[in-house]
Amino acid sequence: MAAGFKTVEPLEYYRRFLKENCRPDGRELGEFRTTTVNIGSISTADGSALVKLGNTTVICGVKAEFAAPSTDAPDKGYVVPNVDLPPLCSSRFRSGPPGEEAQVASQFIADVIENSQIIQKEDLCISPGKLVWVLYCDLICLDYDGNILDACTFALLAALKNVQLPEVTINEETALAEVNLKKKSYLNIRTHPVATSFAVFDDTLLIVDPTGEEEHLATGTLTIVMDEEGKLCCLHKPGMFPPLQS
Amino acid sequence: MAGLELLSDQGYRVDGRRAGELRKIQARMGVFAQADGSAYIEQGNTKALAVVYGPHEGMGQGWTQGSQLKGARGRHMQDRERKTGGFVLEIRGSRARALPDRALVNCQYSSATFSTGERKRRPHGDRKSCEMGLQLRQTFEAAILTQLHPRSQIDIYVQVLQADGGTYAACVNAATLAVLDAGIPMRDFVCACSAGFVDGTALADLSHVEEAAGGPQLALALLPASGQIALLEMDARLHEDHLERVLEAAAQAARDVHTLLDRVVRQHVREASILLGD
Repeated sequence: MAAGFKTVEPLEYYRRFLKENCRPDGRELGEFRTTTVNIGSISTADGSALVKLGNTTVICGVKAEFAAPSTDAPDKGYVVPNVDLPPLCSSRFRSGPPGEEAQVASQFIADVIENSQIIQKEDLCISPGKLVWVLYCDLICLDYDGNILDACTFALLAALKNVQLPEVTINEETALAEVNLKKKSYLNIRTHPVATSFAVFDDTLLIVDPTGEEEHLATGTLTIVMDEEGKLCCLHKPGMFPPLQS
Repeated sequence: MAGLELLSDQGYRVDGRRAGELRKIQARMGVFAQADGSAYIEQGNTKALAVVYGPHEGMGQGWTQGSQLKGARGRHMQDRERKTGGFVLEIRGSRARALPDRALVNCQYSSATFSTGERKRRPHGDRKSCEMGLQLRQTFEAAILTQLHPRSQIDIYVQVLQADGGTYAACVNAATLAVLDAGIPMRDFVCACSAGFVDGTALADLSHVEEAAGGPQLALALLPASGQIALLEMDARLHEDHLERVLEAAAQAARDVHTLLDRVVRQHVREASILLGD
């Protein structure tokens, strides 16, 4: 009976719950889903983390490579994030080049890394002007059930904390890099940004950590990224159906 | 190759296994909520997961959301979407691809950029992934009872998270479990294993080190109950006198995999029926 009503009038079905200040899965309006993290499971990657936010599952693998720095920033390394939303995570995505949502998520993660200064790019420098580290952070969504940005940020942070870089010395005679795989050190993570997403219902109600269905029924979403000192790193509000008064 | 002994005098391989011994296999079914069927398998260090959507209407590439359409039509679609609370069906004109007498099986193989020692530039769309996708499709078209679902499409997506040799075999095993989890009828399990030949001995379930050594490699996908071969592929030179031995080693390993997968499926069904309160 309830399932029939939910199919025919999903918005009304949700409103009935929201009136009682709770949601169909039993959560309060301000409650997050159960979060689990699994760190370091992929041994071929230099750092990895798997995050499950309820049903939403994102895996992040970090691989470090050598690169030549750019001429206008000779002592800065690179951190290159990429979010992949493959067709296996949800039937709404199709195979082929990255769609809109994946590109927006990739850009969002790049902004978070840049704005929150999670890693000082100078820490990734091996030899100024000659050799720097580039960290390729690849995030793959395995199961899409809403709130992808929070899960990606969390997975990225956990994976970066797990990364171990070997010690590299430049041999002066041959000018070649020598990698000492026996001596590995963790990255220096300066801040810990955490993302929180909200969905706006009926222009008045804010709910935290929306599931896929809730995101679909909401009139808008909002994501805020803050670090542990209470500083705002990023605010992402991608449009809204009826414009709000300021 | 000097210095690396793939098979020692006592008969031990690089990782301490015997010639016909499989790596440790752990598998789980029903791991993802969005998909109709899903499974995760670990064969030694090779980690693969498979996800099945279907059978659904054969629409080539998939549903679309109203928000992806622009302009007035987009807004109209969004209103309809909000009222129906679902995705708007947008038929992409590929009804022509759907077959009138059986289901279309569509497989895509993708391996994560961090899955190999060297970072892979393209996770999917490159030649190797297309070849693997095609091989998976051919394997499963032989096993799935496609006549029961005419004009529909079954999507099988396989993602390799860590590759340590035997990726095709791990993908096939994971896909079998995922198809079973989705409830799609199959003729039999499809169990796969790789095999090689070193120093006159056939080795089963090759790891990355053994594959990279450059010897002959055979990949076999078997339907265990009937002993029928769904797919057989061999690379590198091998004398025809040895083929039978290598084939037998691969077939025996595939049958061992079948015993394991059977146990996993029964365990899963037992757990599911306990939850349903039977």
